[in-house]
Amino acid sequence: MSMIKCCFEPVELPEFVETVVQKCTDPGCCCGCCSALRPRYKRLVDNIFPVNPEDGLVKSNMEKLTFYSLSSPEKLDRIGEYLYQKATKDINRKRYKLVEIAMEAMDLLLMACHAQTLNLFVESFLRMVQKLLEDSNPNLQIMATNSFVKFANIEEDTPSYHRRYDFFISKFSSMCHGNNENIELRDSIRLAGIKGLQGVIRKTVSDDLVENIWDRQHMEKIVPSLLFNMQNGPLTATEDATPTSPPVLAEAVLRELVSRASFGHIRSVLKPLLTHLDRHELWVPNQFAIHTFRIVMISIQPQYSYTVVETLMQHLDSNIKSSPHTRTSLAVVLSKIIAIAAGESVGPSALDIINNLLTHLRTSVSSMKEVSPEESQYQEALINALGEFANHHPDYQKIEIMLFIMNTVPDLSKKGKGDQMLQNILLKSLLKVGTQYRTASFEKAFPASFLQPLLKMARAPHVPTRIIVMQIFQALLDRHQNQGILSNVTVKNYPTLSLESASRSDIIFTHKYGANIMQALIEGMALSDRIDPLASSYNTAALMIVEMACSETVQEFILFILGIQELATTSNDLGSYHKCNLHSIAISLLMLLGRVTGINNIIEYAQKIIDARKEEAPYFLPPMLDSKKTTQKYSTNLPHLMIDKVTLTECLQNAGMDSGRVQTGNPYSLSQTDNPAHRTSWVEVSSMPSRPSATDLSIYTDADSVNSSPGVLKKTLAPELNFDAMKRALAEPTESAKKEAREKQMQIVRTFRESNFDDLVRRTEPKHELIQNRLNELFNSLASERQITQTETKNTTTQKPVYENNFPELFYY
Amino acid sequence: MEDYKFLFKVVLVGNAGVGKTCLVRRFTQGLFPPGQGATIGVDFMIKTVEVEGEKIKLQIWDTAGQERFRSITQSYYRSAHALILVYDISCQPTFDCLPDWLREIQEYANSKVLKILVGNKTDRDDREIPTQIGEEFAKQHDMYFLETSAKEAENVERLFYEIAAELIEQARSKEPISQHSRSTADSIGLSSLGSKANYLSQSGCCSSLSSHST
Repeated sequence: MSMIKCCFEPVELPEFVETVVQKCTDPGCCCGCCSALRPRYKRLVDNIFPVNPEDGLVKSNMEKLTFYSLSSPEKLDRIGEYLYQKATKDINRKRYKLVEIAMEAMDLLLMACHAQTLNLFVESFLRMVQKLLEDSNPNLQIMATNSFVKFANIEEDTPSYHRRYDFFISKFSSMCHGNNENIELRDSIRLAGIKGLQGVIRKTVSDDLVENIWDRQHMEKIVPSLLFNMQNGPLTATEDATPTSPPVLAEAVLRELVSRASFGHIRSVLKPLLTHLDRHELWVPNQFAIHTFRIVMISIQPQYSYTVVETLMQHLDSNIKSSPHTRTSLAVVLSKIIAIAAGESVGPSALDIINNLLTHLRTSVSSMKEVSPEESQYQEALINALGEFANHHPDYQKIEIMLFIMNTVPDLSKKGKGDQMLQNILLKSLLKVGTQYRTASFEKAFPASFLQPLLKMARAPHVPTRIIVMQIFQALLDRHQNQGILSNVTVKNYPTLSLESASRSDIIFTHKYGANIMQALIEGMALSDRIDPLASSYNTAALMIVEMACSETVQEFILFILGIQELATTSNDLGSYHKCNLHSIAISLLMLLGRVTGINNIIEYAQKIIDARKEEAPYFLPPMLDSKKTTQKYSTNLPHLMIDKVTLTECLQNAGMDSGRVQTGNPYSLSQTDNPAHRTSWVEVSSMPSRPSATDLSIYTDADSVNSSPGVLKKTLAPELNFDAMKRALAEPTESAKKEAREKQMQIVRTFRESNFDDLVRRTEPKHELIQNRLNELFNSLASERQITQTETKNTTTQKPVYENNFPELFYY
Repeated sequence: MEDYKFLFKVVLVGNAGVGKTCLVRRFTQGLFPPGQGATIGVDFMIKTVEVEGEKIKLQIWDTAGQERFRSITQSYYRSAHALILVYDISCQPTFDCLPDWLREIQEYANSKVLKILVGNKTDRDDREIPTQIGEEFAKQHDMYFLETSAKEAENVERLFYEIAAELIEQARSKEPISQHSRSTADSIGLSSLGSKANYLSQSGCCSSLSSHST
């Protein structure tokens, strides 16, 4: 025995044994005659095969073999080798039953043996599996796969440096595409393929020493194979616990694969995934793409989910030339998954995504000549994605996002059609984010750096742009879901209005920025006589009143309402319909203001005007008139139907409220329309608590207007305008300043009431002219300066467009 | 012990319907399946041939011609030792696509891969591509050329046997330089390490083993 054993030490067998073995094809025949010549392990192996292949494995003998291999594990590799050889011969002779028995025996040995002794046995085991897989008999393939899966589930503790799996990956992938005519067989082949891939993944993914499963050549086989099976399945997640159909199992394997992917490997999964979707044209319709990406997003380790979004965006980049349909689908997929990623991406990465989306929007806008419905669908989808993304961020980040978007909106000075479209698109995306924002305090919702560019856009000449800006305001102002209720201009009560008294910070905000917003609203109202933008402006103004009006801010709003009225009465270039509508808005707002603040005197007064107007000029009341529908001419010069400032002052006084501001302040009115002057005025505005200086100046041009009451003349300002005076004005407590101003005001009013007309004319005329002249001078110089700067900027823009793009308006301030 | 000395991977590519699957079937199973459906993904066949007294195992990967499976089929080019590019001699478009295929091969396959151009369906009498045209194209792009008919079993055996012979030639000429890196796919950058070449029991080691035993 020992002599034979030592002969067998090397792997190659002596010639004579080899021939005996070869002759001994039927395991039963020669057991008796030559068993003495054979090593023990061979006899044990031979004995597990039954005489009749149909009988299956000889169980008792298998136990003996198992026991033997457990007690002398050093023999395991030879047992494996011998079993493999036997199976190879049986395969060649197509005795599949015997092959199955050999495989079964190998499985049993694999299960029974301890992990540390397996290493060498595994070599022959895997060769066996490969041998079976190579055969065209599907049953052998399925069987081999099952054995492989068993092996894959064993945890080996010894590394195997030289084991290779690429044949298995190739073959299993091929099986995943099995196309047998017999559907049942086809499915079981495919199932086997998927299971095999799962096994390879399990075996390799945790072991750095083996094959790198994440290699491109492997992923490009595995991922498409899984997807190919998934795409034939139902798109709804089935609750079935035991995956029995190829689509369900493939999905499970994909989940497993994705969940095991580390940061560096995500892309190697995603790339073939995207390629597959491209190749199989699964973007349009995009249910499957959405389904797949959902799976990816849910399974992926959350800290990497951002990468998926990024990769998808890059894919969108590379699809820039594809049909708008494809791009829309891609963007929709993006919008569906972006929310899942939003929670994990903070700070720069969030803005990065936003920036990316905006870039896509910009390219889309700039690339198209005509507005095609497909393209706008695409833009819509992108905006939706943006909104979805923003929606899942905390509110403070939404503000950041809005600021960021605002800064990318092209300047109003650019009048090109593309720029205009871009403005609209970007503002739309801003609106989308804005609607997701839940305003708590206006101070936070409207930081100065956001409010100012927005207000500038509110003066945009393009009507749709203005409407969008108004919608943004509405979205951000509306804290109590009143927007829909207030969309209708009426003097009647809004029964379903929900109210909450303005908080301290709201009042501060109103004092600080309310004037700016109202100023912009008035200017917006002056720009167009169309009903839509006017109604939109009304809606915004009404929301402001509902949200901000209280006893402390009511005067500000009265001035605003008076400003609207004044615009209607004094401006010469407005059409009569436009004027009528402005009057309607003014009275409606006054009524609303009275109701919101609960000052009955105002309500009564407004009601009086309304009643009078009903009699004489119903066109001064809502509903607003459409200039296109009616051609009637209306008389607009009806001073007795106007809202009177003095009466309002009295109303306030009777209600026991401070009315100094109404008395001394001037109604809001149009400011200068040229841009540079505007900008300087804005700088002042943000630092000054009350009114823009531009409006202060403009009062002189209005001084001779019919309706401006004598009390509003400019004399109220500090007489000497030097540094000290300004310093004093700033340093002085506002109460005393107000008191002083009120006193002066009263004095002036008295003077004007008591002295005769000629006297008054004498008093006012020269000064008025003097200042007028000075103003004209100033404006002329400003105008010439502007011409110079304009020509300069023209030159620079042609030279450095990049600079223009990269540093948006934020840097102007 | 192992019943072959060399293992080579052969991949068939070409437009849909040029007869790739039929060529493989004819070669491996000796039959011509009429009404063969389109291949899905990749099919696998194995055949052991004997060339110059050596047993050669050919792993034949038969890829789908359809465009939509291109991404998965491409991944099989990489590890191929030989690529059989098939066109249909009775169908001009399949010939016109050859440059595209070559570009793909260039991109995805090993640069030293053996390329064979095969004009299939010589049994058809509506030939559109003269033999000479195909020959010239093959010459231009440094490919072997053969015209076959899977239906008539013409040149099919020869095709695979010549590939096997050529690959043996290549393998032998490489042998002295790098003992282990027989699987050409791995020869890039890793040949000196040699550790990866031990692909289960194929090629290198086992060939020397089996040569000892026989």
